[in-house]
Amino acid sequence: MISIRHISKQFPSVTALDDVSLEIGEKEFFGLLGPNGAGKTTLMNLLVGYLSPEKGSITIGDQEVTRENLDIRNTIGFVPQSLALYDELSARANLEMFGKLFNLPHKLLSERINERLNAVGLYERRNDNVKTFSGGMKRRLNIIASLLHDPGVLLCDEPTVGVDPQSRNAIFDFLESLNAQGKTIIYTTHYMEEAERLCSRIAIIDHGKIIASGTSDELIDMLPYEETIIVAKNDSTMEHKAVLREFGTVIENDDHLLLKPGTGFALSKFFTRVEQEGMKYRWFELHRPTLEELFLHLTGRRLRD
Amino acid sequence: MKQVLRLFNNSYRIFFNDRVAVMLTFIVPMVLMYLFGAIFGSADSGPDRMPIAVLNQSNSPVAQQVVATLDTMKAFRVIKTYKDKQGRQVAFDSVTIKRFAQTGGAAAAVVLPPDAFTDTSLGLKMKFYYDPKNEIEFQVVQGLIKQVAYNQIPAIINQSMQRQSEKYLGTKSGQAFNRGIASLVSKYFHVDTSLIMNPSKAMANWMNTSTSSVQDSSKKGGTNFFENMVKIESQQVVGEQLKNPWATRSVGGWAMTFLLFTITASSASLFDEKKSGVMLRLLVSPVSRVHILWSKYFFNMSLGIIQLFFMFFVGWVMFDVDVFSNVVNLLLIILAASVACTSFGMLLAAFAQTRQQAQGLGTLLILSMSAVGGAWFPTSFMPPTIQSISKLTFVYWSMDGFLEVLWRGSGIAAIAPHLLILFGMGSVISAVSVWGFKRGKVFE
Repeated sequence: MISIRHISKQFPSVTALDDVSLEIGEKEFFGLLGPNGAGKTTLMNLLVGYLSPEKGSITIGDQEVTRENLDIRNTIGFVPQSLALYDELSARANLEMFGKLFNLPHKLLSERINERLNAVGLYERRNDNVKTFSGGMKRRLNIIASLLHDPGVLLCDEPTVGVDPQSRNAIFDFLESLNAQGKTIIYTTHYMEEAERLCSRIAIIDHGKIIASGTSDELIDMLPYEETIIVAKNDSTMEHKAVLREFGTVIENDDHLLLKPGTGFALSKFFTRVEQEGMKYRWFELHRPTLEELFLHLTGRRLRD
Repeated sequence: MKQVLRLFNNSYRIFFNDRVAVMLTFIVPMVLMYLFGAIFGSADSGPDRMPIAVLNQSNSPVAQQVVATLDTMKAFRVIKTYKDKQGRQVAFDSVTIKRFAQTGGAAAAVVLPPDAFTDTSLGLKMKFYYDPKNEIEFQVVQGLIKQVAYNQIPAIINQSMQRQSEKYLGTKSGQAFNRGIASLVSKYFHVDTSLIMNPSKAMANWMNTSTSSVQDSSKKGGTNFFENMVKIESQQVVGEQLKNPWATRSVGGWAMTFLLFTITASSASLFDEKKSGVMLRLLVSPVSRVHILWSKYFFNMSLGIIQLFFMFFVGWVMFDVDVFSNVVNLLLIILAASVACTSFGMLLAAFAQTRQQAQGLGTLLILSMSAVGGAWFPTSFMPPTIQSISKLTFVYWSMDGFLEVLWRGSGIAAIAPHLLILFGMGSVISAVSVWGFKRGKVFE
């Protein structure tokens, strides 16, 4: 469906993308996870034809994405990171203005606008100026402004920046419903929770390079350990640190100990030993590794450093 | 107190980081001060080489002296011929010189008729045709012409008295009387006798020193005396039928200044669209950069046409400016001026890095161009270099076009050069803008 081949993009002072290749299938919810400045937005701008690469090519379906190819834009919806709306106009006026650019018949456009406004709970506020909207409402409007022409591919560039948890969940639900309807979605974020929740496949990008890609489980499997064990920090567990070390590496944090299991770790053996030493089960919590840990493992930095 | 000082320092840091604020605080006033100073402040301020048509039909030395004086004045560029239909230079006659002033060939015309100063004259006669298309310019020209004429008074008195003495005493006795008077004046006032007996030499000598005394004496109540000695028959040759000459003259200048501000702000809105992300949204729809630029161009141009016409319409409603008797030609000039202004706005947007830069640079250029282009005061008052620069600005050609249409009631032939120049400037500036947009920051 979407094929990104050996893309490189250079800005005067920085290499934004360096030989990036990705294949994204139809109806896939694909995540692009990386810290700020990793090259996510540049890749999105290349995908929509706003920027041109120095090297490589991008095709969507059987069409190549170029700055001059205006036809392909009928198949792409783009939700920019910024709130690309006219604050002084009403929600409806904004949607009409952007929708008309896609040559939609008046009646169809009007129906789509009502439908989309209803879908994101903004129909009642359709005639209010956007400047009176909350951040979450603006974000929702920002998304549906990209969907009026009913594109097959939706590109979302950090669409939940600055949004409260409730609105964020509403946006997630809406995007999931779009994906369920058959839209291919590419979603960039630096929140691994978002990527994990939404995306069936994720690529991790850093310094303009794809450093890992796959499903969430496939990525986690790249870590040299499966699970970590969080151990409550108290007199008993501190006394038994040597026992814990028999099972792997113990990292002491302010309020807990973290046990990274070593080779041949078996959970049943671990808990038998814990019981023998008189430690309580409730002091131990199994922790599934996260993409954050994978990123830390791969780059030595945290996602939000 | 330390906190006050810290905040004080912060204010300066913020101020100097804001290039627009710095530009508006220091550079814009500096440029305007230079322009105003050049026009009104210097010792020799006043018009510089203003074209003035002169026809001398008299053989009198006094009339010749008037022409010679005008010839040597820095304020004027004396024109004595015009180009006929065959392109030949032809000397003015009493009809063609008036028409020359009417059609804007010169700011004024001076005619010294055959009887300007005859053997029997008691005073100097002259005709003054003027086109007060610019009030300040007209007042100054009129003042200077009068000054030149009044400067002939000593010669006129001298020659008149000699003639009268010869008439009543006879030639020999008259000359003897004159010599006697001359020697008495020479004895008691220590003046060279040859100067008293030679009027032209005396006049030339006197003119070098007497300008201020003539002005002063006229202020002291000598005006009637001078006006009897110098009879200037003035005739307004253009605009005499206008109901409100002041408004007719000034409405174009103000309209142009405000139009430039409007267009600059509108063009700079490209930066707002870029900042808000709307530009990106537009560019990921089936819209190209060229579409965006053309839409902006047409919007600004139409806004310019509406605003200019609105301002002339207000001039009509409030000040009786006759907008409608030559409305087609007025609309043509409005269209051409809007094209040029729009191109200017696009040029700023193409080369500025930010909205603030576009606005700051725009303010500087608008105020300078308005001043240099003659929107606020006559270009003829400016130093020759600035007068030359003035003609490179579309404000000058727009202003002149508006005056042609509203003041002179000119037709398409008269405004054709203005239209050509304005459309030409618009095209060139637009081409440069397109080049700038390809390299600029707006679409980056």
